[in-house]
Amino acid sequence: MQPQYGSALADFIEGTLGWRMWGRLGWLDIKRRYRRTMIGPFWTTLSLGIFILTLGIMWAHLWKQDATTYLPFLCSGFLVWVMVSTTLIEGCAVFFSAEGLIKQLRFPYSMLVWSVVWRNVIVFFHNLIVFLLVGLYAGVSVTWSTLLVVPGLLLLILNSLWMVILLGLICCRFRDIQQVMSSILQLSMFVTPIFWTTDQLGKRLISLVDYNFLFHVVDIVRSPLLGKAPSLWSWVFVGVVTFFGWIAALMVFSRFRRRISYWI
Amino acid sequence: MASLVVDNVTVDFPIYGSQKTFRHALFAKTTGGFIRREGDNNERVSVRALENISFNLSHGDRLGMIGHNGAGKSTLLRVCSGVYEPTQGTVKIDGKVSPLFSTSPGLDGDDSGYENIQTCGMFLGMTPEEIVQKTPEIEEFSELGDYLSLPVRTYSTGMLVRLGFGIATCIDPEILLLDEGLGAGDARFAERANKRVDALVERASILVLASHSDALIKAMCNKAILLQGGRIIAQGSVDDVIKEYHQLNQSVA
Repeated sequence: MQPQYGSALADFIEGTLGWRMWGRLGWLDIKRRYRRTMIGPFWTTLSLGIFILTLGIMWAHLWKQDATTYLPFLCSGFLVWVMVSTTLIEGCAVFFSAEGLIKQLRFPYSMLVWSVVWRNVIVFFHNLIVFLLVGLYAGVSVTWSTLLVVPGLLLLILNSLWMVILLGLICCRFRDIQQVMSSILQLSMFVTPIFWTTDQLGKRLISLVDYNFLFHVVDIVRSPLLGKAPSLWSWVFVGVVTFFGWIAALMVFSRFRRRISYWI
Repeated sequence: MASLVVDNVTVDFPIYGSQKTFRHALFAKTTGGFIRREGDNNERVSVRALENISFNLSHGDRLGMIGHNGAGKSTLLRVCSGVYEPTQGTVKIDGKVSPLFSTSPGLDGDDSGYENIQTCGMFLGMTPEEIVQKTPEIEEFSELGDYLSLPVRTYSTGMLVRLGFGIATCIDPEILLLDEGLGAGDARFAERANKRVDALVERASILVLASHSDALIKAMCNKAILLQGGRIIAQGSVDDVIKEYHQLNQSVA
């Protein structure tokens, strides 16, 4: 199949400019999920808060760590992790769950990609309340490095986009990949320093962290939240992956975009 | 000026049954050297839905597509809308396409009538401002009154049809693609619905209508094609094509 770089790019640009549509879709998705509940999307916030508080206090005690350092660390890392992993799992279904629309209308498919990413960004900001409370309690310092949360988040979003495009396309054709992804992500949560810190790991397994994309992509948001600057290596690593990831996504997208309506 | 050029279009649908999964594709690669697959056809099953379709429409053309179930009418409409990019051949669309295959793309039962007017309207290509402008018209046509503030899952089927129809027919199409399924409801509604469809068609520069009904095609179109098994077997004036269609029916019967 001939790649159509032009139409793939046009799709992405058009889709991005259609922010009013995907913005609306993202909001509506959240609204629908919590319709007729009292506290709406804050249900995730609440259950996340309880989870982090219980686990944080428990593990700080077990590992003999200071709760005021461990809790904010766990909380910030877990919040970002939830955003990344939910985006990826929902991203697998991005195209085939929109079968009704794709078979009725011609529209830029990237709009669907944006709406998945946007929806999870909204949820992230709801959940951020938990971190603000934990941070207040634990006295997390706000420094100049805190500002790095903005480029960190932007870079994370940029990565979410290419990953969702790629996963969405692959899963559209091979439905097993969604299951594979959720297993991989479940495992990765324990292999990536979310619940434990890099210091606890020791030298032997350090490459588990150094070459772990998920660690770096979480850390460029987590560290600024904790008032620290992420390491230069994290920026470089994420930057390089962003570049090659986008190239891969665009290559696959330009080749198979027009097959999506046949595959679903 | 709007135009629609379909040139030598062929559409094959891949059929993914057992070989759909990742496992098979993976095994096909890894075990390829040991277990031979019997040629391309055994690996890929596909159905030819359209074959060598060509036509050329410009401003003022109203094309009726007639044919039996499974003749390829809906697929051809979807090719014209850009939903399916043809396997071979090209489709050149010049102008805004409004496909009306279902009256309410993106309709969600839990959203209120007003929210659905917004969402469906945007999917049909209107800007939020245009939708606000058209909302009174939809309110009036659908006669739903205060129900529009309630979730649409509380509507009766008839109410839902009225809402969907009201939204779908308020667009200003250039190239209008219609599937005959549009329109239902009680007798009074049917009459009003027909009027609205007529007005909608009037506004369109090009119309492509798929239907089983020769009466509908006679009333609305000035050109026609007869499809069978994914091929055009007759093309030309409405009367001639309908005559062919009747002959086809007789030969089958």
